[in-house]
Amino acid sequence: MAEVHVIGQIVGASGFSESSLFCKWGIHTGAAWKLLSGVREGQTQVDTPQIGDMAYWSHPIDLHFATKGLQGWPRLHFQVWSQDSFGRCQLAGYGFCHVPSSPGTHQLACPTWRPLGSWREQLARAFVGGGPQLLHGDTIYSGADRYRLHTAAGGTVHLEISLLLRNFDRYGVEC
Amino acid sequence: MAETVWSTDTGEAVYRSRDPVRNLRLRVHLQRITSSNFLHYQPAAELWKDLIDLATFRPQPTASGHRPEEDEEEEIVIGWQEKLFSQFEVDLYQNEAACQSPLDYQYRQEILKLENSGGKKNRRIFTYTDSDRYTNLEEHCQRMTTAASEVPSFLVERMANVRRRRQDRRGMLGYKKYEHVLCTLKVDSNGVITVKPDFTGLKGPYRIETEGEKQELWKYTIDNVSPLAQPEEEERERRVFKDLYGRHKEYLSSLIGTDFEMTVPGALRLFVNGEVVSAQGYEYDNLYVHFFVELPTTHWSSPAFQQLSGVTQTCTTKSLGMDKVAHFSYPFTFEAFFLHEDESSDALPEWPVLYCEVLSLDFWQRYRVEGYGAVVLPATPGSHTLTVSTWRPVELGMVAELRRFFIGGSLELEDLSYVRIPGSFKGEHLSRFGLRTETTGTVTFRLHCLQQSRAFMESSSLRKRMRSVLDRLEGFSQQSSIHNVLEAFRRARRRMQEARESLPQDLVSPSGTLVS
Repeated sequence: MAEVHVIGQIVGASGFSESSLFCKWGIHTGAAWKLLSGVREGQTQVDTPQIGDMAYWSHPIDLHFATKGLQGWPRLHFQVWSQDSFGRCQLAGYGFCHVPSSPGTHQLACPTWRPLGSWREQLARAFVGGGPQLLHGDTIYSGADRYRLHTAAGGTVHLEISLLLRNFDRYGVEC
Repeated sequence: MAETVWSTDTGEAVYRSRDPVRNLRLRVHLQRITSSNFLHYQPAAELWKDLIDLATFRPQPTASGHRPEEDEEEEIVIGWQEKLFSQFEVDLYQNEAACQSPLDYQYRQEILKLENSGGKKNRRIFTYTDSDRYTNLEEHCQRMTTAASEVPSFLVERMANVRRRRQDRRGMLGYKKYEHVLCTLKVDSNGVITVKPDFTGLKGPYRIETEGEKQELWKYTIDNVSPLAQPEEEERERRVFKDLYGRHKEYLSSLIGTDFEMTVPGALRLFVNGEVVSAQGYEYDNLYVHFFVELPTTHWSSPAFQQLSGVTQTCTTKSLGMDKVAHFSYPFTFEAFFLHEDESSDALPEWPVLYCEVLSLDFWQRYRVEGYGAVVLPATPGSHTLTVSTWRPVELGMVAELRRFFIGGSLELEDLSYVRIPGSFKGEHLSRFGLRTETTGTVTFRLHCLQQSRAFMESSSLRKRMRSVLDRLEGFSQQSSIHNVLEAFRRARRRMQEARESLPQDLVSPSGTLVS
């Protein structure tokens, strides 16, 4: 079997109209993949940028997978939320990116989107907060029913991921 | 004079050892320089020091013109945290009133015992161990610069407080101006040993000049005389470690297993993890992307359940600098097989093409085509970020544009593959004369490509990255041709052997038995 090490960090997020952001992240893999060590999901702290609009989390990601095949390559998905001074959380965006498949260090910028409701809901969101969320979280990392959604563009989540691959060349995989 | 070379380098040296520190032994040899022994240079002993253990020496307060031989030279072997008392300490602890902590009482007992057994064996060289009051206070008052009054800053106080937490602050130092630090030894729990100054070995001895009414010159050397580990012990240790690591590796490999899905021999599998990232620079809002992958007609195939197309969500744009950008983050996975059967063709293999069209659908249900684009999938494995530029067909005249603005609807392509080479094209010159287009925005794709083939396994030892994929696949056919040649050779030899056997014996040479 081949092994994949994913080591990196969620650096932060920029371009969101809200401040005080935190991120819930997770990794989804196919059936042929087994997680040997590491936590496959987590939540960052809440960060409020003082200068500029980039919120920094520097949240570590350290995972070790073993795989029997190429199907189901790991996918990272994020939910970026903002927390206001009253402690209420509001969705700022859903984001997704594939874990790269070539060894080395990759800087990834994942754009995010959030679902839009009717204009009434949008107005309410501007004043009171809230807004529609996805019913099934797996829509973020699968493309099946995406065409039903009407969304708005959010900010960008920045990642720095380093990848170590082992034994892939023994099975003739070029990466 | 020319023989003795002083060593003035008193910087510290760092050593690493996995051995427990109680095996550490240090030998210090201290000697005073007088005119008589200056010429006979004796190698000095070594000192060890334990954690924050200071071996110092203090000259005898009674000065006399004539000193016996013993006063001028001393050699001590010290182990870790071994406490050797100075004269001052002996005097201090014999007085019971001066004992304040249990450690002081313990020292007093030891000194009394020593007195009973005939005095201590070291006269000049003594040590301070980790638990002595001296070391903590010394650290606090240590001066770094030559400023006249150097006051320890707040940070120094905090650091000293951290180390000093367990002990009280009272205490009196000895005649500090007569004490010189010979060597400081620090050990931490990771097996890092810091010796300041370093062991003298090939360097010359260190020197101390005492101040005061009598200026004297002393020299000392430090050596490491720790006993070496027994070879059997080392062997045992090594075996234990090997066992431990071996078992851990077995456990890991049992978790992992040894199978991996393989391709059919002679086939190349192209595996692409991709995502439609974003689209920018378009006129209207509420964009969505419809894309699909087209495989070339020859040599390529894909699994039956493979979905080769996708539609993203509709996204409202936002302004990013000059452009308006829509974020999709739409994942897709694509897999295809390339079968290299026909070896006579020299042409490069055709690679699949990714076509995309961008459309906008707004609240009023106005449907517009925003652009068409196409890009060839990358032939090299790795991560690629592709930016596809798009165009849309326009009609001459104002009417079409007005209609597009007010109610939507415009010219569309019937066959999307017209963007590159139409599927129905058979001639040699493609002419697009008459088609009017307008440049619109761009779509960004991020693709992670992997290629898998059995041929890569065999040629992995001679990896030549400059060769194209086709060349590497050729290796498969080359091997089969070599195999054919070998097969033919073997057949010919067998025939020859049979022919030889059928010949009469006297015609065959006597050394014919060498033929195997």
